Amino acid sequence: MEQKDTGDLIELKVLRIVPDPNTETQIVILQNDRRSDVLPIWVGAAEGNAIRLALEGVVTPRPMSHDLMKSFVDHLNVRVQRVVVTDVKDRTYFATIHLASKGVERTLDARPSDAIALALRTHSPIYVTEDVLRRRSGGNLDAWLAKFETRNFGAQEA
Amino acid sequence: MITQVRVRGLMFDPYNNAYIVILRDEDNSDMLPIWVGKSEASAISFALENIAAPRPMTHDLMKTFLDLVDAKIISVVITDLNENTYYAKIHLMYEDSEYTIDSRPSDAIALALRANAPIFASEAVIRKQTSEELEQWLENLKPEDFGKYES
Repeated sequence: MEQKDTGDLIELKVLRIVPDPNTETQIVILQNDRRSDVLPIWVGAAEGNAIRLALEGVVTPRPMSHDLMKSFVDHLNVRVQRVVVTDVKDRTYFATIHLASKGVERTLDARPSDAIALALRTHSPIYVTEDVLRRRSGGNLDAWLAKFETRNFGAQEA
Repeated sequence: MITQVRVRGLMFDPYNNAYIVILRDEDNSDMLPIWVGKSEASAISFALENIAAPRPMTHDLMKTFLDLVDAKIISVVITDLNENTYYAKIHLMYEDSEYTIDSRPSDAIALALRANAPIFASEAVIRKQTSEELEQWLENLKPEDFGKYES
């Protein structure tokens, strides 16, 4: 069953993942097709690595945690329909993973990092609610991103 | 032949900047150390200490997923050791069929602890484990390097 509220969802793609120079965390930069909306989400080092491997199409000798999750999904004939970044509270983002199993849609509460790492492996779309996009943290985010772009993105492109 | 093992310890290996999960059989006669990464060690440690993170961690999510679709972890088995890489299998029951899924031991153990599923090691793995080298290595460890799970 489709959710009724898909009207206020915006599809985002993972543009890049960059290390936060000040901490051990990584920043996932999500952007819509028209490049008018940008959403950066801070994730842990391991989760960031899981996203990077999927973005770069790297196959590791042994399955990493999210590869295992994909393996569960495949073996049990479950389809990941989409993942949605649904909320932000005190700079913590919340996400849901929408699954179809035996014709029934089910949702799982997840951190965006896990949801995105899984979405990239299952080629599922990533959405954000308009509300979250409006409330994304930081007033001068665009200026910050622009600065970040010139300083740090170069190496990622190689 | 497989032997049931339990997680008896989790410690930091300062020489390799990694963590070691110590598995032992019931009689404490066989020991199997498994080197794991930082995030996998943290996933195992949370389960051992029964800590619920404010947000679901990766292995919590996997467990919730399996619960949601009614799949049950029957057991996990550490099956092979090849050039210091361990291999494991996760045995699942789903809709009256058994599924076997290839995994790293760290993920398998993190899940087994969350699902209260038994952990086994194949005899070959325990045999292959060069205990002499390990004991020498353990002698160099300070008591404070050990976690508190060693009973």
